[in-house]
Amino acid sequence: MLADFINPYHLQIASFILINILLAISVYVPLSSGQLSLGSAGFMGVGAYTSALLTIHFDLPIFVGILIGASVAGCLGIIIGIPSLRLSGVYLAIATLGLGEVIRVIFVNWESLTKGSIGLTGIPQMGRELLNLARDFGIQPAMFGLRNNQFVYLMVFVILFILVTATIWFVFRQQNSRVGRSFSSIQMDEKAAESMGINITYFKVLSFSQGAFLAGLAGALFAHVMGYISPSDFSYHRAVEILIFTVFGGSEVIIGSIFGAIFLTLIPEVLRFVSEYRYIIYGIMLVILMAVRPQGILDIQLLSKFKRLKRSKGGVR
Amino acid sequence: MVLEIRNVSKNFGGIHALKDVSFQIQEGEIYGLIGPNGAGKTTMFNLITNIFEPTSGQIVFNDSNITGLKSYKITEQGICRTYQNIRLFSQMSALKNVMVGGHCRSTSGVFSSVFRTKKQKREEKALTEKAEELLDLVGLLEHKDALAENLAYGQQRRLEIARAMASNPKLLLLDEPAAGMNEKETDSLYDLIKLIQSKGITVLIIEHDMPLVMKLCDRITVLNFGEKLAEGTPYEIQNNEAVIEAYLGREEDVDIA
Repeated sequence: MLADFINPYHLQIASFILINILLAISVYVPLSSGQLSLGSAGFMGVGAYTSALLTIHFDLPIFVGILIGASVAGCLGIIIGIPSLRLSGVYLAIATLGLGEVIRVIFVNWESLTKGSIGLTGIPQMGRELLNLARDFGIQPAMFGLRNNQFVYLMVFVILFILVTATIWFVFRQQNSRVGRSFSSIQMDEKAAESMGINITYFKVLSFSQGAFLAGLAGALFAHVMGYISPSDFSYHRAVEILIFTVFGGSEVIIGSIFGAIFLTLIPEVLRFVSEYRYIIYGIMLVILMAVRPQGILDIQLLSKFKRLKRSKGGVR
Repeated sequence: MVLEIRNVSKNFGGIHALKDVSFQIQEGEIYGLIGPNGAGKTTMFNLITNIFEPTSGQIVFNDSNITGLKSYKITEQGICRTYQNIRLFSQMSALKNVMVGGHCRSTSGVFSSVFRTKKQKREEKALTEKAEELLDLVGLLEHKDALAENLAYGQQRRLEIARAMASNPKLLLLDEPAAGMNEKETDSLYDLIKLIQSKGITVLIIEHDMPLVMKLCDRITVLNFGEKLAEGTPYEIQNNEAVIEAYLGREEDVDIA
């Protein structure tokens, strides 16, 4: 019954969408305090390699590896965030892009540890581990009428879905609080924010390292979903791709990043039937959007319009 | 004594923006800082709030030396300011702007904000109530949900005062609050500042609107080209030869003009 609906291919795309949402939020959070960071691909790589190496060499459970990977990326975010405080706008963007490249070059050249540009293989896969775990508890995929690979992809999707939901909840709650108000006041006018008694240094480093942590989390999850990573997964192209999610969807609101990640991950898949033209279409779409709606598809004005529409409908009832 | 400026100087490169300026502000008074454009009035504000550090001299607030203290720490100590060219958080609602002002009087961090602890909820409620009270004080309560950038000019000036008040200052610095206001708005600004004084807050004000300054201030310091020209009550200042000369020029100069 259930088995007829579950298509591993669709579930895998859904999983990539979820990882991309995490990455888009990792750009959104620093941006909400006025810091344009292009280091997400680098932090993602740090999270991925840390977790992969720990689970391969030390046999750590996957979830411990992921937690450590994300934390290492977050700590690196603090270390990078402090000197970066002097930079703003495009200068910070360039510096963080450079950081990402440095990290990638380290992965390529530290061959004894990272196997260089060949990359790491045999990373424990989350889905398979979950299947084994389920079997230990005496649960068989067949009990739900599922094939093994259907069960694996479904479990991965569910885990990612829970994590992403928790992240969105976290960011959303944080935003509507004293911390979030500090972030946005710094974004709007740093000097005025400081003279209102806000410790700029603390809150900027906080949001920067939160972004780094989320990117590291996404990277670690990516490693354990794919089972294989190489430095080219965390290159400059990835950094730009992540930035585009946020800019395309609308960088003012968190829902914009989420929408951007979903839409831009789906488009290449949906356009598969025009295979060789699909990236041309993708590119044209971006150009048109930036010309027509530079603030991204969703912004505060549009959202408040939706809200008003909803309210007025409620009034009629 | 609330604030004491001791022999403060500030050089920008070779330019002396302020030269050896001293004055003292007593608790509860409204103190005026006036002078022609470029006299160094706003520079003095920037030194008090440590946006710049003075080249020499000391700034003492409530008997403690605050020279060189970080800006946000100075706000914590109880000095808050408004800006000559309005610096609101333009994309935030009026209410939120004022709530940001209450930042240093609240403590919730990431954890309590995300998990909405009891203490956080209580604090957030208190902040909101305080902000509404202050918006009411400046007559903006009905606009609390409007974005700051959509408010009229005079309203923005009042919102800035409310935001500064939210940090519970002992000393409020107002940088040309009446600039661009019409007579009616200026009158209600006068009432507002008097009301703030009656709450026990000391006010240091920079203003070009002389009738307002003379009516409002208890004492005044006049700056000219970075130097203190005169100090005294409004009556003394109005009759001070040097001040009249700085503002109106000497007789010979008038002839040339």
